[in-house]
Amino acid sequence: MLLKQMNILLADDDTDDCIFFKEALQELFIPSDFTTVHDGEQLMQLLNNETTELPHVLFLDLNMPRKNGFECLSEIKRNEKLSGIPVIILSTSFEHETVNQLHKSGAHYYIRKPSQFSQFKSLIQQSLEYIAQALTDQPSRDNFVLNTQCN
Amino acid sequence: MTKINKSVEDELIIARQELAFQKVEKGKRAAELGIANIELVFQDEEKEKRAAELVIANKEVVFQNKEKEKRAAELIIANKEVVFQNKEKEDRAAELIIANKELIFQNDEKEKRAAELGIANIELVFQNKEKENRAAELIIANKELVFQNEEKEKRAAELSIANTELVFQNEEKEKRAAELIIANKELAFQNEEKEKRAAELIIANKELAFQNEEKEKRATELGIANIELAFQNEEKEKRATELGIANIELAFQNEEKEKRASELSIANKELLAFTYVSSHDLQEPLRKIQTFCSIILENENENLSEKGKYNFERMQQAAGRMQQLIDDLLAFSRINTTELIFEEADLKIIIEEIISDLKETIQDKHATIDASGLGSANIIPFQFRQLMYNLISNALKFSKPDLPSKMVIKSNIVNGSKINNKKLSADKNYCHITVKDNGIGFESHFSERIFEVFQKLHSKEVYGGTGIGLAIVKKIVENHNGIIIATSELDKGATFDIYFPKSQ
Repeated sequence: MLLKQMNILLADDDTDDCIFFKEALQELFIPSDFTTVHDGEQLMQLLNNETTELPHVLFLDLNMPRKNGFECLSEIKRNEKLSGIPVIILSTSFEHETVNQLHKSGAHYYIRKPSQFSQFKSLIQQSLEYIAQALTDQPSRDNFVLNTQCN
Repeated sequence: MTKINKSVEDELIIARQELAFQKVEKGKRAAELGIANIELVFQDEEKEKRAAELVIANKEVVFQNKEKEKRAAELIIANKEVVFQNKEKEDRAAELIIANKELIFQNDEKEKRAAELGIANIELVFQNKEKENRAAELIIANKELVFQNEEKEKRAAELSIANTELVFQNEEKEKRAAELIIANKELAFQNEEKEKRAAELIIANKELAFQNEEKEKRATELGIANIELAFQNEEKEKRATELGIANIELAFQNEEKEKRASELSIANKELLAFTYVSSHDLQEPLRKIQTFCSIILENENENLSEKGKYNFERMQQAAGRMQQLIDDLLAFSRINTTELIFEEADLKIIIEEIISDLKETIQDKHATIDASGLGSANIIPFQFRQLMYNLISNALKFSKPDLPSKMVIKSNIVNGSKINNKKLSADKNYCHITVKDNGIGFESHFSERIFEVFQKLHSKEVYGGTGIGLAIVKKIVENHNGIIIATSELDKGATFDIYFPKSQ
């Protein structure tokens, strides 16, 4: 499926994961404007900067220094200007309660970071396609988790 | 003159005859009076006798009163009423003595009067005789006699009055005598009453004496019992003191134990928290190793020798196994660290969530899960979800390769008395959940061992896994105060029956 040029923002403190993400986008030939921030405070500063063009989608890591993913998510969803940005959670762990909480807080999708790079690429592609199809609607809880394995 | 004298003589003769007749009449009258006086004298004598008898009777009464007083004195001194009654009787008796003295005095008076009357009568008799003798001779004396007769009539009238007086006095005396008889009867009755009372008092005294004896006996017994009790109290006090010391010792030991327990609890929590955090943090570098591995295998495939590719694959497998271990350790530590909060939850919804989480595997195995016979249960939702997840993923894992996996999950409520298991109480209702599959099963003698930590029936080459899954299941069932029973035969599927209290 052909994707329009997407403005993608990744908030993740882990350099390796940022590299994986960038490589995945390159290998998937997804035309995108890709930006990364490395902690929650940077993320919120960027989003609240009036000169910033808001991203089409935000990939958000949960475990970040200074301000974690949960705090950023609820700040974004409480903010009228930012609440429309689809947020996709990226996390190594998978805890049912946490996942439910994130869905309630307004995240669009939850991706458990897989151990196989090929799986990671397919999850990125899948999520971007979903976002492109229905840009603003939050999916139901049943379709919230995008992963190929869970515990 | 002769004529006149003759007529005077005639008149004298007539007067004499008349006087003679009057004399005869007076004689008759005097005789009657004499008889009347004799009668009166006799009556007076009778009255005297009667008075004398009354005196004797009164003396007797006085004597009896004294006797009664002695008797009363012998009776219980406390009987003040009797004493009072006796005093009353003494007063009465004294009154009677005075009355008797009065009567005696009156009788004396009457006797004197009677004696005077007797003398007067004798005089009259004598005078009458004198008058009879003189009547014939004395006409002039007639006037005297007439006068004397008048006097006598007066005297007779007086005597008649005196007689009336005597009759009245006699009547009075009779009345008094009757009163005295009544008084005597009264006294006799009172004596009887006193005797009865005395007899009653004697009985009462005997009774009191008996009661006193009994009380003395009882007092003696109580004295002995008191000594015994005092001894027992001393012993108890000693024992209480000993117990007090023992209690202080125990309290100290308990405090020490509580301190130790809380220290251990803290240490345990720290350990579990450490397990959780470390497991969680270990995931990330491990995942990166796996990802780099997969990138190399993908991108550098043509640059690697067959041996190099094989080693990378082995490396990936080892990392995968480590990931599984970390996942299971995380799950296990989560069970021990989360609070046990029971909620009424719909089991069907929980199963549907699990099916959703496992949908890829379910598709791969062509598995069908029938969860239509499920109700709600009082559970720790988070833990119970883990429990069902482990059982279902276990059933999927151990399905027969050539047969689509088929699972039936259902629940019902049963009474403990119908389950026949020592660990369940017969008076409780239990929620019974069954998970039945058509997988490879296991030999029945492994039915207990499969729940032990790190126990596996297959090598990891054939069926992966850490041997923690069913240990977690068992731990969760125990957290629900329940039991789990596995029933199976090799190649004939397995059934897991879970029982836990309907309400916690």
